[in-house]
Amino acid sequence: MNSNFKKELSKLIADDVISIEIAKKIDNYYNSKQEPQSNKLLSIFGVLGSLLVGLGIILVLAHNWDNFSRLIKTIFAFIPLVIGQIVVGYSLLKKKSSIWLESSGTFLFLAVGSSISLVSQIYNIPGNLGSFLLTWLMLCLPLVYLLKSKSVFILCLAFTTYYAWELGYANWNNIKTPWMYLLIITTLLPFYITQLKYKLENNLTTVFNFLLPLSLLISFGTFVKGNYQFIVITYVVFFGLLYNLGRLNFFNNIRIRKNGFILLGSLGLVVTMLILSFKGFWGERLLFQKINNHDLIVAIVILITTIVLLIFNKRESSFKWNSLFEYASSLIALTYIVGNYNNLISSTLVNLIIFILGVSTIKKGVDKMNFGILNYGMLIITLLIICRFFDTEMTFVVRGLLFILVGTGFFATNFLMIKKMKKLN
Amino acid sequence: MKSKKIIFTLFLLLAVVQLLAPAKMIYNQEQIIKTGKAYKFLTQPLDPNDPLRGKYVRLNYQINRFKTSDTIWKKNHHAYVYLNDSIGFAKIDTVSHKKLNLPNDYVIADKYWFNQNNNTLRFNLPFGRFYMEESKAKPAEDLVRRNNREAINNTTCALVYIKEGKFVLKDVLINDESITDIIRKNSNN
Repeated sequence: MNSNFKKELSKLIADDVISIEIAKKIDNYYNSKQEPQSNKLLSIFGVLGSLLVGLGIILVLAHNWDNFSRLIKTIFAFIPLVIGQIVVGYSLLKKKSSIWLESSGTFLFLAVGSSISLVSQIYNIPGNLGSFLLTWLMLCLPLVYLLKSKSVFILCLAFTTYYAWELGYANWNNIKTPWMYLLIITTLLPFYITQLKYKLENNLTTVFNFLLPLSLLISFGTFVKGNYQFIVITYVVFFGLLYNLGRLNFFNNIRIRKNGFILLGSLGLVVTMLILSFKGFWGERLLFQKINNHDLIVAIVILITTIVLLIFNKRESSFKWNSLFEYASSLIALTYIVGNYNNLISSTLVNLIIFILGVSTIKKGVDKMNFGILNYGMLIITLLIICRFFDTEMTFVVRGLLFILVGTGFFATNFLMIKKMKKLN
Repeated sequence: MKSKKIIFTLFLLLAVVQLLAPAKMIYNQEQIIKTGKAYKFLTQPLDPNDPLRGKYVRLNYQINRFKTSDTIWKKNHHAYVYLNDSIGFAKIDTVSHKKLNLPNDYVIADKYWFNQNNNTLRFNLPFGRFYMEESKAKPAEDLVRRNNREAINNTTCALVYIKEGKFVLKDVLINDESITDIIRKNSNN
């Protein structure tokens, strides 16, 4: 238990606030709840150690020892793999602690990679990096579930993102859609959901909460290509999906700063919607025929999923203005359809939506007495005003006054909030 | 106890698959070397590196374009390059976007660009990487450059075994001697 807390307990006993028995009970309660610090550290160092050793082996083998015969080199390719398998097998058979499973799993993951990379090196197998990564992932995915290993989960997530990047962005003359990425993510999802259900408060679950949406965000661009206007719209819809995923029941009991879906979704929505708020964006009519079918299908699938999520999340609650973020992407999709007929209406509508979002966020911040949310709302309004400076013809005096007004608003709201808090205290 | 057994059995299965994957790769390659036909492809190497598989020599082949009567080249098409043997060196017989019923050996190359003005297809042969010990890749490139300057004709070639569209790049040769051996000899002198 925390030493400061122990000091406080003895102080409370000395001042006769609690009895020695109660202090002992409190002490026992916290001790029983706490996982020993040394275990956590051992886990971290075990995984880090395996990671470094595994990577080291890959690098040593990548030297390509051409003094050895092909047979010797082939045997070398199998040694780390077999060692990894023996250690994992032993850990499973002897029901060793999670430290063993995590560390050996990490090592085996890297050993599989080193083994297939060395074989392709010995025989000069050209296979591009994408297919190499895919084979590697397919051979290691089951480890996540067999070992219940969080470190292998993170490695799979990182490497599948790398795979999507390699296929979708890296080779400009041979860009492909990484469909297998979706399959791998779907395979990883049950593990993540189990973590959310049973280990929501765990620090690593928070890390997953950020890594998963980040991976989706990085890879999303590989699924859309073509007309840039439509791509921006598709991104809005995608961020809307992230935000609504973050509103699922699983996340009800954690703080917003631990919810990567909400944070990334909301930030992404604001940025992409600000791009849409420019009149220039809607300058030329957005004709439907400019969109390729592939992009259209991706956008429609995401939009439908978002709407289904929205209905699912809202089945027990009514509409509130301060939950406008959840509806934003669907509204933007509507403005896009309107934009095909009248671009002025759609740009005005987008500005209006951002403005309402900003104001409702400020209101939410005030209601919850949360400075973070309050200032985020102010920031949205400020960014909207700054953006409007570029395509609205206003005199410098008006622009200056607007800035002063917003600045004063920042001071005033924060000041009023501090006052309100003091009053309540 | 029962679940422990199931998990362990599943792990054993996975371990076998993990071992089989590289073993199968090795078996396929050995089969091609044993039963495939050897061709030499004239080439010019450069030395880049791969983050996981180490240093390699990238091989730019002289065979990289073909004037073809096949003019329907779509985005996802690959090039089936059919080969002839001309005094030990590979020559193109024909190129097609689909498999043809020909007795010649072939490889599937990445289509790079089809020029509609002169009906010429540019492609990259798939065996473009020759892995070398990291200290030898750069000397290999220098050696080839020197050789090309001194010799009247390019005498650097890749030795490739081909069978039913599959291939193994076995070695890179300069004047019929392995580039690895030449570098080893040079570093000993």
